[in-house]
Amino acid sequence: MSIRPFIFRIAALILCVSLGLMLFRGIAALPVPEKVIGPAGHYLARTAGETGARNVVGAILFDYRAFDTLGESTVIFTAVCGIAMLFSRRKFHRSSRGLSFIAKRGIGIMVPFLLMYASVIILFGHLSPGGGFQGGTIFATVTVLLCVVYGSSFESQYFPPRTKDILESGGALLFSGIGLIGLAAGTGFLSNIAAGFPAGTFGSFLSAGSVPILNVAVGMKVGAGLSTIFYSMIKMLDAENDHIEGGRPR
Amino acid sequence: MTLVLAIMLPLLSAFLIPFFHLARKTLSAGLISIMGLASISAALAAAYTGWYSPAVSLMGGWAPDIGIALVGDRLSSAFLLLTSIGSGAALACALEKFGGGPWRFYALFFLLLGSMNGILLTGDLFNLFVFYEIFSVAAYLLVAFSMSWQALEAGLKYLVLGTIGALFILLGTAFTFMATGVLNMALLAEALASIPRETLTAISACLVLGLTIKTGAFPVHFWLPDAHSSAQTAVSALLSGVLIKVSIYALMRVCYIFFLGTNGTVFLAITVTGSLSVLGGHLMALRQDDIKRLLAYSTVAQIGYILIGIGCASAAGAAAAVFHAFNHMLMKMGLFITAGNLSEEKGTREICGLTGLWKSHPVWVAVFAVLSAAIVGIPPLNGFMSKWFIILSSAGAGTVIPALVIAAGTVISAAYYLRILSAFISPGEGSSSGLPPSVPRKPRRRSISFAIVGSFALLCLVLGVMAFSPFFRECFSSIGQTAVDVEAYVGLVTGR
Amino acid sequence: MILLSYATAIIIFCIGLYTIMVRRNLFKTVLGLALMESAVLLIIVSSGYIPGGVPPIAPFSGQAVNPLPHAFTLTAIVIGASDIALALAFIVKLHRHYRTVDLDRIRGLRG
Repeated sequence: MSIRPFIFRIAALILCVSLGLMLFRGIAALPVPEKVIGPAGHYLARTAGETGARNVVGAILFDYRAFDTLGESTVIFTAVCGIAMLFSRRKFHRSSRGLSFIAKRGIGIMVPFLLMYASVIILFGHLSPGGGFQGGTIFATVTVLLCVVYGSSFESQYFPPRTKDILESGGALLFSGIGLIGLAAGTGFLSNIAAGFPAGTFGSFLSAGSVPILNVAVGMKVGAGLSTIFYSMIKMLDAENDHIEGGRPR
Repeated sequence: MTLVLAIMLPLLSAFLIPFFHLARKTLSAGLISIMGLASISAALAAAYTGWYSPAVSLMGGWAPDIGIALVGDRLSSAFLLLTSIGSGAALACALEKFGGGPWRFYALFFLLLGSMNGILLTGDLFNLFVFYEIFSVAAYLLVAFSMSWQALEAGLKYLVLGTIGALFILLGTAFTFMATGVLNMALLAEALASIPRETLTAISACLVLGLTIKTGAFPVHFWLPDAHSSAQTAVSALLSGVLIKVSIYALMRVCYIFFLGTNGTVFLAITVTGSLSVLGGHLMALRQDDIKRLLAYSTVAQIGYILIGIGCASAAGAAAAVFHAFNHMLMKMGLFITAGNLSEEKGTREICGLTGLWKSHPVWVAVFAVLSAAIVGIPPLNGFMSKWFIILSSAGAGTVIPALVIAAGTVISAAYYLRILSAFISPGEGSSSGLPPSVPRKPRRRSISFAIVGSFALLCLVLGVMAFSPFFRECFSSIGQTAVDVEAYVGLVTGR
Repeated sequence: MILLSYATAIIIFCIGLYTIMVRRNLFKTVLGLALMESAVLLIIVSSGYIPGGVPPIAPFSGQAVNPLPHAFTLTAIVIGASDIALALAFIVKLHRHYRTVDLDRIRGLRG
């Protein structure tokens, strides 16, 4: 019966190759753009005036197409809710010891600078490349680093799971609340300058209306969410490791 | 404004549920019912707006080509009515069974509801993809909620196939953006007429393949039987009744708006897929022993009927497809809830074990008989009327093979539904959970589920009779006309 | 030049799809999903390139590249990462029950 998987593999190979050829012919038929057409030209030309933000990509994500960003942060919310649900029955009894003394001291000096770096990326998202998603991911990476270097019980002491839950839902409610302010002002859901948020002086820190606030909300949500995902999976694996190896000395 | 509230109220309820859980350990069923009622009434208000005065809501006040537009027309409002009824019924059954206890279940449920309304109301292709992903992730998690190994395996299979479909949709969206530079569906309808032929082929292949994987049509249906049979009763009913219809709506919208004037082979491919689904679904259902798996394969076949209706590419076909989608929601939700309750009473899901139910639960078996007569297609009931309309529209489109396929499918489905009913009616040898038949079992409160199932069966009868009335046919044919009238949609969004 | 990056992305997409269809180890299935996702993102980002363009931060010192694909890619990265995290969580839970990640032995649901 070993001929049947072989035929299946040949069929899969033919299918994938023909799919690739069709896709390539579709792309190759398009002309290479020399200048920007369509709505993108509007964004490049008018972002500074209409939104007050310097970062055009940030303005697209948090002003013109902010509804997409709300949807996307809801995807993370759903995934985190689900992963916490999948691993909710397992409480860990022990935690790992962490790494050696040199690693702990060294990382202990670096962590405040990492947190500052993450905050800068979030808060200056409307002026330079960056924003809520990127900074929130770095926050989550800091908590992962604490888990690995110091052990998961240390990390859960400093960032308890309840705090992460509150941060995540708080970020989501902040985003929706800003949207509803726009709806109440009559200018449309998630509107920025038109709903009365101050545009400020172009290029300064306090500018671009609600874009910095939305950056902070998304940063809270993404950081807390990704951190919860890692913590849920690691606490189960820690308990399982202890069970298999007969426990570690504390 | 109602369009936005229909999406935001369920999402806000889902965001608030963790706060309530942190404040007090268990949520009350009353709180969840209030949130559910608020969400469903917002959706019904949006449906009402869309029916009588089609509306466009611009997010942030930006014009449709640079921002996101929400569009509510008759097709959206028909499906909004469908999802409101279906999710209200599923929420009531879940509340009756679980109470307010599992808060994550209700959070996922409201996220699902909000994202379904988002898919039905959006007018932008990338926004459709984002809301489709929220919808899919919530569906994977609801399937895996009971966390038995079957549920986890079914959830993983659903996840892998669903993500492949989503990636194909994203690829099609990327190609569309590369070719035209806009993402609003109305503006794309005009722009797609002037792009190169090979690119249009690639776009249509990717989009149709991705959307078809998500609806569970025959060659790529492998996730559907596992997912729909391994979930809990209320979730299975929701999956088969409502979630599949939302996927059908996405397919209808994309195909009619983009490909009606430009690429006719898409509709031929959909008709072929539909016919294969009908035959494949019914034949596989014939072989099943597990009642929920049988009902899941029956769903595959019914999706085939709807796809045949869509593939006719005419207003009559679209109207017949929407009518059959509505009927199937009523029938399949009723069947799943009944089958779930009866198999819990008996303790088994095998058909040969579900005996003697006519003596112990006669009313449930009667309701099951009415619903299965409807889904097979006995004349005065609504299943027959919608299948008849589909046959008429496919004859109007010039092909005769789908009609033969539908007729063959009806015969096969009659065979397996009769098998189930004969198992119910045959005298049992005693309860298969080991108790002697004279020991009274602890009665479980099933009154709300029974009320829902009974009212669905009654609606089947009523809709079947009303399908003869001209007013009713007017309603559905206007839905079909709105579906295929691309110029009206473009005019609605762009204001010309 | 840009056609080369499109071709590479399409080849990676097809390799990912083939991996999912053929390989029997669940981790390789997740790797296939990750490959397909990365390929689609590469196509999206490459589509915005203008020869000789500068980053889209106002004020521009020349012709800026198309900012819209960057926004799509950010959204799609987050969505893809959530999907893959969920898939890995499912595999970890399944492994606890079956003690294997070989798809041929995990097929409890058949027919």
